This record gives sequence, structure tokens and C-alpha cells, in this order.
Amino acid sequence: MSDTTQFRVLDFDCPTCASTVERALSNVDGVQHVEVHYATGRVEIEYDDSVADPDTFAQTIENQGYTPQPA
Amino acid sequence: MNKQSITQYYRKHRKAIVTATSGLLYGGGWSLGYLTSFNTASAAILVLATLVGGYDIAKTAYHEVTNRTLGIKTLVTLAAIGAIIIGEYWEAAAVVFLFSLGSYLEGRTMRKTRTALQELLEMTPDTATVRRDGELQEVPAHEVKEGEVVVVKPGGKIPVDGTVVDGESAVNQAPVTGESAPVHKADGDEVYAGTVNQEGALEIRTTGAGSDTTLERIIRRVEEAQEAQSPTGSLIDRFAKYYTPAVIVLAIGAYAVTQNAILSLTLLVIGCPGALVIGPPVSIVSAIGNAARSGVLMKGGEHLERAGKIDLVAFDKTGTLTKGETTVADVEGFGVADDEVLSLAATAEKKSEHHLADAIVDAAREDPTAATDGGTTVAQADDTDAGRRSVPDPDDFDVVAGKGVIAHTDGHEVVVGNRALLDDRDIDVPSRVADYVREREGRGETVVHVVRDGDIIGAIALRDELREAAPRVVAALQDTGIETVMLTGDNERTAAAVAEEVGIDEYRAELLPEDKQTVIEAYQADGHVVAMVGDGINDAPSLATADVGIAMGAAGTDTAIETADMALMADDLERIPYAVKLSKATRWNVLENVGLAVLTVTVLLAGVLTSYVTLAVGMLVHEASVLAVILNGMRLLRH
Repeated sequence: MSDTTQFRVLDFDCPTCASTVERALSNVDGVQHVEVHYATGRVEIEYDDSVADPDTFAQTIENQGYTPQPA
Repeated sequence: MNKQSITQYYRKHRKAIVTATSGLLYGGGWSLGYLTSFNTASAAILVLATLVGGYDIAKTAYHEVTNRTLGIKTLVTLAAIGAIIIGEYWEAAAVVFLFSLGSYLEGRTMRKTRTALQELLEMTPDTATVRRDGELQEVPAHEVKEGEVVVVKPGGKIPVDGTVVDGESAVNQAPVTGESAPVHKADGDEVYAGTVNQEGALEIRTTGAGSDTTLERIIRRVEEAQEAQSPTGSLIDRFAKYYTPAVIVLAIGAYAVTQNAILSLTLLVIGCPGALVIGPPVSIVSAIGNAARSGVLMKGGEHLERAGKIDLVAFDKTGTLTKGETTVADVEGFGVADDEVLSLAATAEKKSEHHLADAIVDAAREDPTAATDGGTTVAQADDTDAGRRSVPDPDDFDVVAGKGVIAHTDGHEVVVGNRALLDDRDIDVPSRVADYVREREGRGETVVHVVRDGDIIGAIALRDELREAAPRVVAALQDTGIETVMLTGDNERTAAAVAEEVGIDEYRAELLPEDKQTVIEAYQADGHVVAMVGDGINDAPSLATADVGIAMGAAGTDTAIETADMALMADDLERIPYAVKLSKATRWNVLENVGLAVLTVTVLLAGVLTSYVTLAVGMLVHEASVLAVILNGMRLLRH
């Protein structure tokens, strides 16, 4: 089943940083659609919940050097 | 402080600590080299400064490269590595430290913009007191179900959207509508989650809770608006896509030709058009956030940039410049008692949904001597209020759009309408009727004639009070050099009287709804950028035609928010000059930012190519321009 989750990242420090996180998230297994907005810091992920789970996404964002918060 | 809390502290402030350490090492290493001859020690400390400050940057650069995005962190890393390879330790440390400092400050200031809206959400309390099984229970606010009754104490925040079922109070609706004055709420009135109950206890039947509240919907809309690219923003993004690779090619080319490594590395550092890319979104996010907190919902950067060019504001008269509460001001019988005129007109108009019809029917119900139907009046179910009279149904009735109604009752044909309808039906208008009509219209009232079996038996004058703020708002717009126009279905004389009272530049009278669109198109053809202010429901087509459609009183109506480019949550006309000025300020702000960024990049490029600008200076100017642009954009948060 497809599900959607959101995070808020308040510490993006450049627009490219947001696109890098977007690319990284879209490479996670089971992710169908990702939107990362530099201006608002909002991250929206549409994913297949039998493959991926939100904890992995949070971990991916952290690995890129940013702090995800639940939105 | 125990070990765990030290780790926590470090995690939270990692960026600041790393930047400060790198800065201290850089300062130490530089002084050592400058003041003493311990050159090797100085170089070692500078390399350490580069490593401390550069680790996180290099890590992100690695992610950039593996994710195939080309960002400034990759460029900075390359520059720092290059500088160390050619032995320019001071330059390497300076670049890394300045970049860390810049991006730390950038992150901090952007956080402020990003959290501006969160403050609104925090207005909603987490828990609600609900009446369940006859008892009051404290439950999480999002678990309240539709139809449940919530009790809110005086001074408490309202946790859900709903309708007041008991109690009376003044509610401060600022978080939702931006109005600072509290609004009186009693039985049957709607209240919104996040607003503050100031006086008495209220019992509220829930219509929406959790994420299904007006405030939540507004915030979602605002975020969508903030995320939407503005035309300037997307133009710049397209430019940036080519700019960075072009600068890298230039850097390689420059090295091939001049063999000057510092020159090439400096080109890399300024190869990210930072200020240019960040400028427009920061301005727009700040402006939209500011507007949202004042009860104005702006649809997005595109609309905001267009709104900055408005030079003509068209107002729909009814419900916009006026309160939209039409009442009967006077009834005049010509050879027939006034009461009879009113009661006959009310019967004819009873099934009509026009606002003039409602006013006439209401007046007839209020008037205890009217609405007597030959003594056979029977109280009807919907007229049970004490002191109110019933209005009988007509036998049949037809609406003539924009003109009036034709009905039959008790064997009589009754026509209620304007002069155009009378002319259509060849009904003769005696001079004393015409005099009466002219006199009332000169006061800004609308007059309908009441005709029974072809003879005019009376006339009814209706009045829609001007909003108290209307003249002030028109004057404020004129002060900023904006033309104002009133559009109305009223006849020429009524329109002229109202236009004069408001002080508006121009008016267009006797317009059918579709004519309003034509008028707006004509202004646009003359080269005007037109904003249209209306209620968002009846005026939806003209709002859509205008360059910027502004809907009033949109808090409760999703359709209005849907069709308008800007929606005023409250029925507060005063927000219009504010919104127009904010849009203009935003447009300038975007231009300032783009100008500043282009200037910086040009000066830097020229400086680098003529060897005036070295690595550290290039970095400093680059970061300073980014911060300047963010801070300039953030001024709009406090406009």
C-alpha cells in the first residue's frame, strides 16, 4: 500500500542541499515520490509501506547531515 | 555536566562548535605565521583548521557527488584541497572557515523564516475538554469527533472548529482572520480552532478537529504557496543550471591558459550563484508568511509578483464597499397604503433569492401592519417568531435577470422591478413616481417599483450601508498611485451617489454579472494590471478574469480560497492596501536581491579574472552576499 509521510528540516543551508537530500531519498527502496522544499524545509515522501518505513527516511536525512523533525 | 548531556549538547550545536573551533585554529595559525617564524607549526594548525571545518562540508560534498548534484560544497571542498596541494594553507583554512560561518548563519536565519508559520499552528491547544456520557473529559484535541460538544473556559483557546451551542463570549480570531478586535459569538455562530475565548464559557459542537480545521487548511495552503516557484525564481534556477558548469569549465580553461592555480580555485569558489538562487524564494516565503499572520492568504510567488504591478483596483460594490446587508429604507404608496405596497411586493418576491428580495420579505415580516392577506393569514411553520408576520406564497413567479420579478397572486399580476423592466412591459411611469425615485437614488439607494395589473402602486427604496472603512481604504490606495473603480449592477444615479460618498475615481453602473468581466478585460486592454475585489462566490468569474483576484471574508468558504489569487480571511477591507503594499514591497525586494546578486557575481568574476580577488576574499564576499540577500528578504516578515 502506498503511504505518505512528512518531515520538517529546519537546517537546510543551501538550495542544493535540499536537492541532494531529495536525490538521496528517491534512491531509498520503496520510495515512489519525494518533494523537498528548501524555502519551507518541508519534506514529503510517498512510499510503498511494505518495502520502506519512515525511520529509514529519517536516517537517510540525518546521514546527509541534516536534522529531520516530525511535521 | 555528565557525558550523555555533553554528547547531546554537542549534537545540537555541532555546526556552531565546528565553526568556532575552525575559526579559533585559523586565527591562531594565522597569527603564529604572521607574528613568528614558526612557519611549519603555523601551516600545521591551518591544515588542522581546514580539516575540522571541512569535514562536514566534504561529507556533504561526497553525498552531492554520489547523488549527482553539483553544489557549492563540492566546489568549496575542491578549492580547499587544491589550496592545500599548492601550499596555500592560509587560503584553504580561510575558505573553509568563512564558508562554515556563512552557512551556519544562513541556516539560522532561514530557520526563522521556516518557523514563522509554526507559531500559528502552536496556537491550537493540544487537549480539549469534551462532554462525553454526561461527564467532562480531557482528551487530545485531534481525537475529538465531529458532533461532540467541547467546553472552553474564559481565557482558553478553542481546540476545534465548530458552532456555538451554548454561552456567549468575545473571541479573538487574530490567528485565523488577522483581525485584532474580538468578535462577539453566541448561539449558532461559527468558531475556529486556534482562536481565543476571551470572556464567557462557550460550548461548541465540533465540525472539524485535528488536521481538519480552518487554521490547518490555511497553513497547508500557505505552505503550498510558499513552495510554488515564482517566475523570477524559476528563471534564475534555469540560469543556475548552466552557470555552475560554465564556471567550472572556465576554471579549467583558465588554468590551462595561465597555469595560475589560485585563479582557477577562486573561480570554483564563486561558481555557485548562491545569492541569486536564494534571493527570490526568501523574499516570497517571508512575504507570504507575513501576509498569513495578518489574515491574508496569498496563492504563491507568481501571484505575488503580479500583484506587485497592480495599478488599478476594481471593487464590486455590494458586500465589498458596502456591508452587503440590504435593508428597506423607505416605502412609498401611490394611491395605496405603504403597508399594502410592501406586503404585495413581499409576496411577489418571496421565492426569489435576490438580496433585494430578501430585504423586502424581511421588512414585510417585521412590519406588524403589513402582510395581512385579507384576514386569511395563516401562520406558517417558518414564521413562528413572536411579533413576525407571515408572507403568503405567490401563485406563480418568474425572475427577469437583472431587472426584477413578475408574479401572480389573488388574481392580480404583480411586477416588482427596475425602470428597465417597466420599459420592457410598456408601463407608464408618472412624474411623481419618477421624482421619488430620483430623490432616493440621489442618496445612493436602490428603488424598485411595485406594479399591480399594469399600474404603479408604489415604490420601495433599499439601502446597503457603506462599510465604515471604505473611504479610508480607497484613499489609501489612491495615495500609493493606484486607480480605483467601482463596479455595480445599480443604476447610474445610485452608483454615482455611492461613488461620491466613497471618493472612488470611477464607477461603472448597470452592469450584469458578465459585464463586469468585460469591463475588467477592457481595462487590461488599456494596459492596466487589474485587481478585482469581491466576495469570491458571485464574483468568481470576474476574480478569475482580473490579473489578481482578491476575495473577502474567505475564512469559511473554500470556493473563495480556490478561485482567488489572494483571500482575505476576514471581511476587513483595510487589508487591501496592506496586501497591495506588501506585494509592491515584495516585488522590489526580489529585484533588489537579484540586483545585488548579479552585481556581486559580476564584481567577483571581474575581480578574479584580474587577480584582485583571491580565494579567501572571494569566499567572504560570496557568503556576505548570501547573508545580505537573506536578511533583506526577511525584512518582509516585519513589513
